[in-house]
Amino acid sequence: MYRKLSLILMLLLTATLVLPSVAQENVTLRYFTFSAAPDYLEELDTIIAAFELENPTITVEVSSAPFSDYFTLLQADVVGNDAPDVFELNYENFVTYAANGTLLNIDEYLTGEAPYYPRALEAFQYNGEQLALPETFSTVLLFYNADLFDQAELDYPTAEWTWSDATVAAEAISALGDDVWGLFSPVQFWEFYKKAAQNGECFFFNDDMTESTINSPACVETIEMMISFMTNGYMPTAAQLSGVSDSELFLSGKLGMLVTGIWMFGAFADADFAWNVEIEPAINQKAHHFFANGVGVSSTTDYPAEAALWAEFLTASETAATVRVESGWELPALDQPEYFESYLTQTPPDNREAVFMALESPVTPPVIERQNEMQDAVNGLIGQVVDGELSAQEALDQAKEILDGLIQ
Amino acid sequence: MKQTNMLPRLLTYIGMLVLVMLAVLPFVWMLSTSLKSQEYILSATPQLIPDPITFESYTKLAERIDLTRVIFNSLFVAVIGTFGQLVVASMAAYAFSRIDWRGRDTVFLLYLSTMMVPAVVLVIPQFILIRSFDWMNSYAALIVPSLFSAFGTFLLRQTFKTIPKDFEEAAFVDGANHFVIFWRIDLPLVKPALATLAVFGFMGLWNSYLWPLFVARRDEMMTLPVVLATLQAGPRSLTEWNMIMAGAIITVLPILLIYVFAQRWFVQGFISSGIKG
Repeated sequence: MYRKLSLILMLLLTATLVLPSVAQENVTLRYFTFSAAPDYLEELDTIIAAFELENPTITVEVSSAPFSDYFTLLQADVVGNDAPDVFELNYENFVTYAANGTLLNIDEYLTGEAPYYPRALEAFQYNGEQLALPETFSTVLLFYNADLFDQAELDYPTAEWTWSDATVAAEAISALGDDVWGLFSPVQFWEFYKKAAQNGECFFFNDDMTESTINSPACVETIEMMISFMTNGYMPTAAQLSGVSDSELFLSGKLGMLVTGIWMFGAFADADFAWNVEIEPAINQKAHHFFANGVGVSSTTDYPAEAALWAEFLTASETAATVRVESGWELPALDQPEYFESYLTQTPPDNREAVFMALESPVTPPVIERQNEMQDAVNGLIGQVVDGELSAQEALDQAKEILDGLIQ
Repeated sequence: MKQTNMLPRLLTYIGMLVLVMLAVLPFVWMLSTSLKSQEYILSATPQLIPDPITFESYTKLAERIDLTRVIFNSLFVAVIGTFGQLVVASMAAYAFSRIDWRGRDTVFLLYLSTMMVPAVVLVIPQFILIRSFDWMNSYAALIVPSLFSAFGTFLLRQTFKTIPKDFEEAAFVDGANHFVIFWRIDLPLVKPALATLAVFGFMGLWNSYLWPLFVARRDEMMTLPVVLATLQAGPRSLTEWNMIMAGAIITVLPILLIYVFAQRWFVQGFISSGIKG
């Protein structure tokens, strides 16, 4: 009995070593994505089906990974000299990949007819070469629970609000109950560079990128303002959230205002209270995130023309644009207002116009070649300010030293 | 007289009960969350016993992923990998303990020293190797690197050393060769240690995340932990915790069953090999 079982297991073990690999007949492009997983894989399949119908000799094979693991895997693929033919990149990581020669200059393969937002197209150029195509954009707005505003007898946020108006409202909403919070605005790298732009005088680097200016008085003031939401008691700390995410807190109806991305529209659609969005309050001026994802072609691909064709179809075709808009899977970075008509008529929120108003004051993240190291360092130091281990000035002095080292 | 003896014992039991509860509570919470609907997970007053109890997270999980395929992958990799580990480790352990050859102890020390290298450091070189073999998205990629376990070899070598040499000498006199002695005499005597290694090997392969994440990119090759991670939404969406917990329950169940059934051998294995947990 045991001998037979052992024999079977031994055979299976041997079989795993000699399993035949899949034969390839057509041009098969490997496409790697994070934005489609886990919720939009079917939509991606629809786009691929339309592309393959137009290009019957090309097959697109998708692999996906959650965002948290995506860049680890992509890096491993690049190191293993077997990068996928086409892959997604966010704007922050684009420069790193562009600088190390991973991306193919696709200028010569493009039709030049795709109606990209010029600013978005420029964002994915490096040293004058088009190394990726803008795929989607998104921004961050002020989400508010209209029911809580009514209970606190407050006027709803307006486009003219400053953070002083927001904090007055937050205080009034917090007073509604012990488990009700006025505001949540994340305290991290991405929020910091945007609030820095709202301040108008805080810059991470000087103009010629030779030195970091992150410890300027304006930057210290910005961080102190961000932290004050928590110290004044109308924004929960991580301990008070105890594992509940800010979005979950908003969805439970216990949060008056939340600064978060337009990608949450779908997740909040079924909330059992009235909510809406408005462009973000200003400090000294308006500033809104401009997050962009792009699609690049690997410099080692065997099929550059086919890969560029797929990248362009995925980012600029009418099919791709319509599928994205109708499913709520981020917005195509295309200057074609007619594609967005159905998006603007969907509710909630009523004020979807705010998405496009926010784009009038776009801020892109400060980007350097050693992007991840900068983000980690700044995030770590901000965390220490939140925990009361460092003052804002001390943290930013340390950040300056680190950033100066990273740009050398 | 009896009553005075009762108190320390009672206190010990109470203390142990508290410790057991602390250990069990996360599992109970996991089960409880998997039986709640999404709106109750966010409720301000947490419920330990869900009301109402719903299995919707399990059905949703089954709709979202090809559970049969994923569980098969996990089981196949864990069972075949564990078996392979037992074969390789026991043969190596036999060679390191029962056969005299020049440089044996040096080679063993070198082999053992690989335990000091953190597994994450080896991921990229192994990954490049697997790619060059064209093994990506195959069971071979998931199983073969796990076959060579320095820990397993060490565990079995220590156990083989406890077997008196007289048995083998008698067998040699009767004309047996090394393979017969290994298979017929020594191996049956180290069953508890084999069971221990099997449990460790199975647990390691079943729970393994990083390696399968790297080499099993296609949906049809993914194992349970990797698929569960894909369900966890990033910062751009809301995570359906009940579904994640349902997946975690499915992941934990086989390990729990194996541990319950192999507990006796598991403990014996530790005692006979002199290894503490």
